Amino acid sequence: MTTLPGAPASPTPAAPPPLVSRRLITWAAAFLLMVGLIAGVVWWFTPPPLHGVVIQSPRAADDFTLIASTGEPVSLSDLRGKVVLLFFGYTYCPDICPTTLNDLALMAEELGARRMREVQVVFVSVDPERDTPEQLATYLRYFHPSFLGMTGDLADLQRIATQFGIFFEKHADTGLVDHSSAITVLDRKGFVRLVIPHGTSGKEMAADIAYLLRRG
Amino acid sequence: MTTDIQQPTWVADARPVPRWAVALLALPVVLVILGAVAFAVFQPIQVLPRISLAPGYALIDQDGNRLTSEDLRGSLVIYNFTYTACGDGCPQTSRAMLAIQDALADLNTDGIPVRYVTISFDPARDTPAQLRRYADSLGADTTRWHFVTGDPVLLKQIIGAGFRTYYNQEADGRFTFDPVFTLVDGWGILRATYRTATPDPAILRRDVGLIIQEARNRDGVSRYAYEAAHLFMCYPN
Repeated sequence: MTTLPGAPASPTPAAPPPLVSRRLITWAAAFLLMVGLIAGVVWWFTPPPLHGVVIQSPRAADDFTLIASTGEPVSLSDLRGKVVLLFFGYTYCPDICPTTLNDLALMAEELGARRMREVQVVFVSVDPERDTPEQLATYLRYFHPSFLGMTGDLADLQRIATQFGIFFEKHADTGLVDHSSAITVLDRKGFVRLVIPHGTSGKEMAADIAYLLRRG
Repeated sequence: MTTDIQQPTWVADARPVPRWAVALLALPVVLVILGAVAFAVFQPIQVLPRISLAPGYALIDQDGNRLTSEDLRGSLVIYNFTYTACGDGCPQTSRAMLAIQDALADLNTDGIPVRYVTISFDPARDTPAQLRRYADSLGADTTRWHFVTGDPVLLKQIIGAGFRTYYNQEADGRFTFDPVFTLVDGWGILRATYRTATPDPAILRRDVGLIIQEARNRDGVSRYAYEAAHLFMCYPN
């Protein structure tokens, strides 16, 4: 081993060598710190167990334009930059729609006003005959002021629903509409990212959406 | 007391970082990277991609009953698209369906039902009665194999837009179409598309097995391993 010029002389032989060298302890500590750091990074990038089902869509969802509860036409692409939750239902719906909208309102509360600015809940009508924009606006106000209703031509609604894996069919006799109750979540770029099954609580949805907001 | 002696010793030790120490610090980083590369290359776990949402629909089956995409939630579904007047020179995809069913007959699916759906794009001629005759001619078990059709506009949205499968009626009433089979999981998510008239039943069996295996490992630590497999795109060839 070469001694660097100007290196101080080694300690006097009289000094007893320490049991474990200080240097070793330092390096061991640095090693542990490194391992901890990597574990931390891995943990940070590991998604939490999501309540919805993840989808890796290779392309953005097809765009559509409908009449919103504000009375104006709104396209899905107008909502780019926000995490969009699509829920199909109708205002005369006796059970599933109000409970799901209630869960969505709880989710909005859980996320808070700041994060909700980057989230848009869209209630797409499957009963355009009865669900006028005004009717949707009145109905959605009961749940959350930020919720957007959308309605339009029956054929358009059918096409849109089919695309998002939703079926609906109206019973002429009772006026009830059978429909799928899953919520489709699109990320800021308009890609379908999650399907949230019916019965997921507001807290659980908030956790999933918070993750999407955090990680794009 | 001893610190008085060791303090200068420590200071005296401040020399260039030894190589072994650098190696020790780099080791975990290298291990993580190697692990990731090994996972991606050797694919210890394979999964099928979660491609997109399968279309939602309500159609009428061979007995005149309604069949919806919602009825099939929780089941693995294999689809083919054809019409019953499909004769000579027309791809016999329903025959291939029979071969697939044979191949899957003894597969342990952990109680997850496997269903088969043949969608006819010829509702004008394929009435429920005609679909029933077609099913019987194939010897199909209609408790798990459904023959359905519906409104032409809806069918185009389901088969064309939803399953990305081309079909078109010619002037003579015959259809030209791409023979396609699709595999949809219990969440209604499209997991595989086979663009051939004669898919290898062994590959279908493997793919159904992959979905079952993933469903089996939905909880705990193994779930992370499966998510990693999705992340590293450990897809079968």
